[in-house]
Amino acid sequence: MKLYRKEGNILQILSFPNETVEKGDYLLVEDMEARKALIAQVIDVQFASVPGVLEELLRSLPDGGELVLGEDFDPLEIASHINYIQDASLLVCKIRATVENENLSPSSSWLPSRSQSTIKRLPVPTLLKLARIEGKLPIILGGTKDSSLLTIDASHLDGRLNIITGKKETGKSHLSKLLMINLVGYKATVVVFDLNGEYISLGMTGDGKRNAHYDKIHVLTPGQNFKTALKHVNLHVLLGILIHALHLPGTSAREFRRIWQSLRERDMLTLHELGEAIRNWNCNQLVRDALSSRYHALINSGFFTDSVCEATLLEDSLFKAEEHGGAIVINLKNTSAIDRQVVVEYVLGRLVEQLTSWKIKATFLFAEEAHLYLRETYWDDIVTRMRHFGIFTTFITNQPDTVKENIYRQADNIFLFNFTNEHDLEVVSRAARVDAETVKSIARDLPPHHCLVLGKVVKDFPMVVKVKAMDVKTMGETRLFFKDMN
Amino acid sequence: MVIEQYTIATPPKYNFPQPTIDEALPQRLLEQSMGSLRYPQRQHFQLNQQSFQQSAKIDLHAETLQLGMQPILLKPIHEETQIAACDTSTIKIGETSTGILIAVRGANVWKKHRSYKYNRFGPFIFHITEENKKEVYDAIERAYFVSGRVQGHPGIVNLMQNPTRIASLLERWLQATLSGMLNEGIVLFDGSLTAGTVDTPIERLRGILVKARECKNVVLAFSKITNLRAKGRLITDLALERGTPYLLETTGLRPKPPIVLLGDVYVARLSHRSFAFRLDIDKEDPYEQRIEALGKLIGNDVLSQGYPETLRLAHILCTFTANEVIAMQHFVARRCGLIIINRPDMHRLLFGPFGRGESYS
Repeated sequence: MKLYRKEGNILQILSFPNETVEKGDYLLVEDMEARKALIAQVIDVQFASVPGVLEELLRSLPDGGELVLGEDFDPLEIASHINYIQDASLLVCKIRATVENENLSPSSSWLPSRSQSTIKRLPVPTLLKLARIEGKLPIILGGTKDSSLLTIDASHLDGRLNIITGKKETGKSHLSKLLMINLVGYKATVVVFDLNGEYISLGMTGDGKRNAHYDKIHVLTPGQNFKTALKHVNLHVLLGILIHALHLPGTSAREFRRIWQSLRERDMLTLHELGEAIRNWNCNQLVRDALSSRYHALINSGFFTDSVCEATLLEDSLFKAEEHGGAIVINLKNTSAIDRQVVVEYVLGRLVEQLTSWKIKATFLFAEEAHLYLRETYWDDIVTRMRHFGIFTTFITNQPDTVKENIYRQADNIFLFNFTNEHDLEVVSRAARVDAETVKSIARDLPPHHCLVLGKVVKDFPMVVKVKAMDVKTMGETRLFFKDMN
Repeated sequence: MVIEQYTIATPPKYNFPQPTIDEALPQRLLEQSMGSLRYPQRQHFQLNQQSFQQSAKIDLHAETLQLGMQPILLKPIHEETQIAACDTSTIKIGETSTGILIAVRGANVWKKHRSYKYNRFGPFIFHITEENKKEVYDAIERAYFVSGRVQGHPGIVNLMQNPTRIASLLERWLQATLSGMLNEGIVLFDGSLTAGTVDTPIERLRGILVKARECKNVVLAFSKITNLRAKGRLITDLALERGTPYLLETTGLRPKPPIVLLGDVYVARLSHRSFAFRLDIDKEDPYEQRIEALGKLIGNDVLSQGYPETLRLAHILCTFTANEVIAMQHFVARRCGLIIINRPDMHRLLFGPFGRGESYS
């Protein structure tokens, strides 16, 4: 390989056919005299602009595109040299860091010698060592191209905002399960909003047996094993549900607050009493109608109960998880859109409550397709306010434009799977922790189950990893009509 | 350092009626190529390239040349006929302190059953110096043209003439090979049927034409460029546009000795709205055979812009592209351990944008 050009933080390197370098690979451009080296990542592989190639290709086509067949008496074997030159490639690389005395700095301000520099592939393990990516709480994400393991430190997910995105069936949920299981393994508390019931069998192996995580996976299905009694709900949590999930107007909310206080003073916080109170409350008819419709929405959700023994205290699951590590999977499958928002509003409200009162330390929240249940104002809340309370969110989506732009800007880690759509790539490339060229160039060519890891977990050295398999029962498979026929 | 010796393996056979091919010349070319490349070891190697034009200016008394204005109309004859052509190319790929590095390549192309096939020979790379220029040329010439050698000819006086002369040897060998391999076919040459030059002794070209006639082949030699003028104008410019292909005869062309014309010179416009070319046809071929051969050429080959596709392909296949030049420079630099230098172009150095040095691709 030969250094050809440097423009800004882009290096162009001439590579010959016997040097197999692919997109995503790291190269070390070492200038021995300067005692420095550049670490650059290949973001595109192009044909080198060799003069005469067009003529070379054209002359094999006489007319009508038919190939001229023949034999070459080429005793000096010049043809191999021609092919060697013709197949030379130009590696477009992004400079990621400078190595000087085994220390890394993000600088790309110096120019290595074009004639004297040596260029070689930088194996991932060496880079990991140089960048000190592995930590005390390792999570093995999978294998890199050179058959080494990519291990990140769980602490780099702590306090961070993460995004897992990619088009359908590329392995997003699989990675989120992997992260989740590993976090639980390190005794972390994880809450999952499971839209499709994909996480409910994480405690089972592929053949349906209990695995090591069985006791740490707590699946809560609203209306079934996840119900709440009114007396366990704080007013502001319920008001949050009414206002944000059920869109109760402000005037009506004020009346509801009075009703609630009245019932609480009389220790009559039951669904039945609440219904009666709304019906008999001395207020404007429109307000009563508004309250009444929301009341029936709460009833119909099946999430609220008057039976205290039927009610599940979310806090119990949280405390249990806090003690040994565990995942609380909120199974939102078969839950209507309104009920989903009610449940999510409740869970988030309770979580914030527990966190603000320091009853629990911190929680990792995994939210699949959050736009389907997260209210508009929560996006900002999650990246600013809730993060300070200790809710560290990982968004998982196959529609990157549903995640607000400021989320991308503030995301600390992005796990990017394949996208071919320009628009999707454009959205993701707004992330502050990576340059648009890298995202667009590498993500487009990622095979299924391969993920481009960006951000703090890899110390801003984007890396491609084939996410490792797990022995858990997968529930995210799409139900197919023709499955049995194939 | 000793350069590795190659085992020579010529292509097993042409897809021609006659199965054997005389491999003496490529073998000798290779030997001379390898031999000449022994010596530039560890020398400095200046990369530059220059194509050599093989068309040497030949002295002809053209004042009396007349162009017959009565066209001989040509009709396509679609009877399947083998058409073959050959061409060679040479290029300087660099200089050393003692000489020049050149490459030579030749190609035979033939059309059969509506498809084109080729055999390509080379590139053969030579390091030509003042010391070895005669030896290299003589050794190659001896390999094939023993009978046609000009005894006591002035030899190679200029280093820069050598590449075209080596290429010319290869071309005559290819022409001889094709002439003896085809049967009742058409052999297309690039250039004229002018003999008696330093490069083309009369006996050598005559021998090729005799061989062609023995195999009932007709040789048609197309010149891309001609200096022949009738009434002060280029003969190819005098040819008028007509709807059908035609031929114009020339008369009164008397070459200055020792130059001899072994063919009759025509102006041929072989397709509608195309260029006209000087065409030489073997003098010994009967008139009817010439017309029939041209009819078969029109009926069997593609004539884009009035030039036979077979001959065009031969030219294209042997011409060196910039990519190949780089590859050959790469080869010699690696095999001979040459140290590549980029000597400044004195014209550009002294006169800046007004300097006209050798052009670099």
